[in-house]
Amino acid sequence: MRNSYKGQRKYVAHGSTGRIILIVFFLFTFHLSLLTASEAKVYIDITSPAAMKVPIAIFDLPGSSGKEISRVLRDDLVFTGLFTYVDKAAYVESQSQPFNPANWTPLGVETVVKGTVSEGKNLTVSVRLYDVTDGKEVLNKEYQSEKSLVRPLAHTIANDIYRALTGQKGVFRTRIMFVGERAGAKDLYLADWDGHRSRKLGLKASIILSPHWSFDGNKAVYSSERGRQWGIYLLDFQRMTEKRIFVSRGTNLAGDFFPNKNAFVFSSSKEGAPDLFTYNIDNGSLTRITSSYGIDVSPAVSPDGTSIAFVSDRGGSPQIYVMRSDGSEVRRVTFEGNYNTSPVWSPTGDRIAFSGRRGGKNQICIVKPDGSGLTQLTESGNNEDPSFSPDGRYLVFTSDRDRTKGVYIMRANGESQMRVTPKDLKAFGPRWSPN
Amino acid sequence: MKRLLVLFALVALVSAGCAKKAVTRPEAEQPAEKKEAAEKAPEKVTEQKVASGKESVKSLEKETAGVEEKEGLFKDINFEFDKYDVKSEYKSELKSIAEWMTKNSGAKLSIEGHCDDRGTNEYNLALGDRRAKAVKDYLVSLGVPAARLQTISYGEEKPLCTEQTEECWAKNRRAHFVVLGKAGK
Repeated sequence: MRNSYKGQRKYVAHGSTGRIILIVFFLFTFHLSLLTASEAKVYIDITSPAAMKVPIAIFDLPGSSGKEISRVLRDDLVFTGLFTYVDKAAYVESQSQPFNPANWTPLGVETVVKGTVSEGKNLTVSVRLYDVTDGKEVLNKEYQSEKSLVRPLAHTIANDIYRALTGQKGVFRTRIMFVGERAGAKDLYLADWDGHRSRKLGLKASIILSPHWSFDGNKAVYSSERGRQWGIYLLDFQRMTEKRIFVSRGTNLAGDFFPNKNAFVFSSSKEGAPDLFTYNIDNGSLTRITSSYGIDVSPAVSPDGTSIAFVSDRGGSPQIYVMRSDGSEVRRVTFEGNYNTSPVWSPTGDRIAFSGRRGGKNQICIVKPDGSGLTQLTESGNNEDPSFSPDGRYLVFTSDRDRTKGVYIMRANGESQMRVTPKDLKAFGPRWSPN
Repeated sequence: MKRLLVLFALVALVSAGCAKKAVTRPEAEQPAEKKEAAEKAPEKVTEQKVASGKESVKSLEKETAGVEEKEGLFKDINFEFDKYDVKSEYKSELKSIAEWMTKNSGAKLSIEGHCDDRGTNEYNLALGDRRAKAVKDYLVSLGVPAARLQTISYGEEKPLCTEQTEECWAKNRRAHFVVLGKAGK
């Protein structure tokens, strides 16, 4: 922050004295020890995000579109777990009055969102974000869109607010791809990250499995059975075309893309047992990287492309293994439970999420690639197919906790689990878009 | 709010192990517009429809011609949970299938592997693959030419029964037989 020190002083001057002194800071840095004790009155317990939520006031923007925008902002920001929404009933200042920090400090509000909306043929929305402790405007932006795009517009605003307050990129414009089934007909669906604006892509196939995004988010591969053959199909989102790129005898299960080449790793039983292969889309070259008597399936490429996590029953039960991407140095990661499947890497590669059977039900679990730090994140029903958001803060997964399988999201620590697909749609195999 | 910035600074600090860098980074990243924001005209963003406007995917593949299929000639054989070995109680049934295949030398047989839905979809597809292959291997050992036997896995995608009971799961863990092409009697 440009006026970091000054700002921090101001922050304290505005009387947020309820904070606990951050001793951790002094342990980590001599730099900050130049500040006086009172200036460092900023306490963050990074292991417990619940303890440091920022109270945010969000006015209802005018009109029906304005109201919807405010609702989206509130839902987006609150879901992060970094903010608490302060109800508008408490506001002293009106939206049209000039921003005055003195109106907000007594309420404990630390940041305020105001805006105007003009609805003509298009929608013009102007948004201002204020920092109460600094007493100043942090964001002032005008947005325009067609009226039908009010939700994506609101998500864009949420991203801007999130970035202004945290310095990080928000995920509110990302999407989730999943397989949906209604009256026996399956299709691929694409929805906003919150499940809204869901639409099916119109694939003509009775069975679709394992969709995976390419790294740029412009393509996807998935498996489909047609004419008693499992093929791997490539979907081009820009052209909206589908093409079969690999087929053979046996089961071919779509796999995960490598970061820096037009290639992916997948599972095929073309040579007998399901083994892992890499396939280069540009030159059609196929390389076998595992060969075990049993099952090798569900490969997931690490974000740096050097490692692959996968499922194998070579030890007698399905477990998660990690190897180098050429197939060497295989080692087992999971030892607890006798059915661990569906591994995915976090975007920084520091964690692997998977589905592990615990007490007869499948649960989303998380573990470090070295096998330490195993944590179970879900408890109710069967929970499968985890996939990380691009910032690693959230997971999308499938659950049957409300009977029909549906797509759910949660924070990566297991908090705020919620269904994002309609109850009458059987939905599974969700994948969070990379951007 | 400052706390948030400090949070990310702290996260960066812990991972980078460098105090100076972590403390200074947020300053550098702060946009210059911030201070002048009040006086400056607002930044403008226009939201546009993405994609080509096409609503559904066009397949570049030709539809495959269907093959004549005949089901129900042979009973399903069932498997234990998460297992793919052929149980001895089904060996006489497989023997009669092998005999039928010998008599009907023009027939091809597709062996489908299926699973109950307690496993995860991908692993079940691999498991169904192993079940179908185990049956195929057994039929080959009884003298049926491998070229006349196909296998396909459907995992948990085509259940016979959808209740969450052991009886129903047991029915779904099966190898199913479909005679392809010109079938005899």
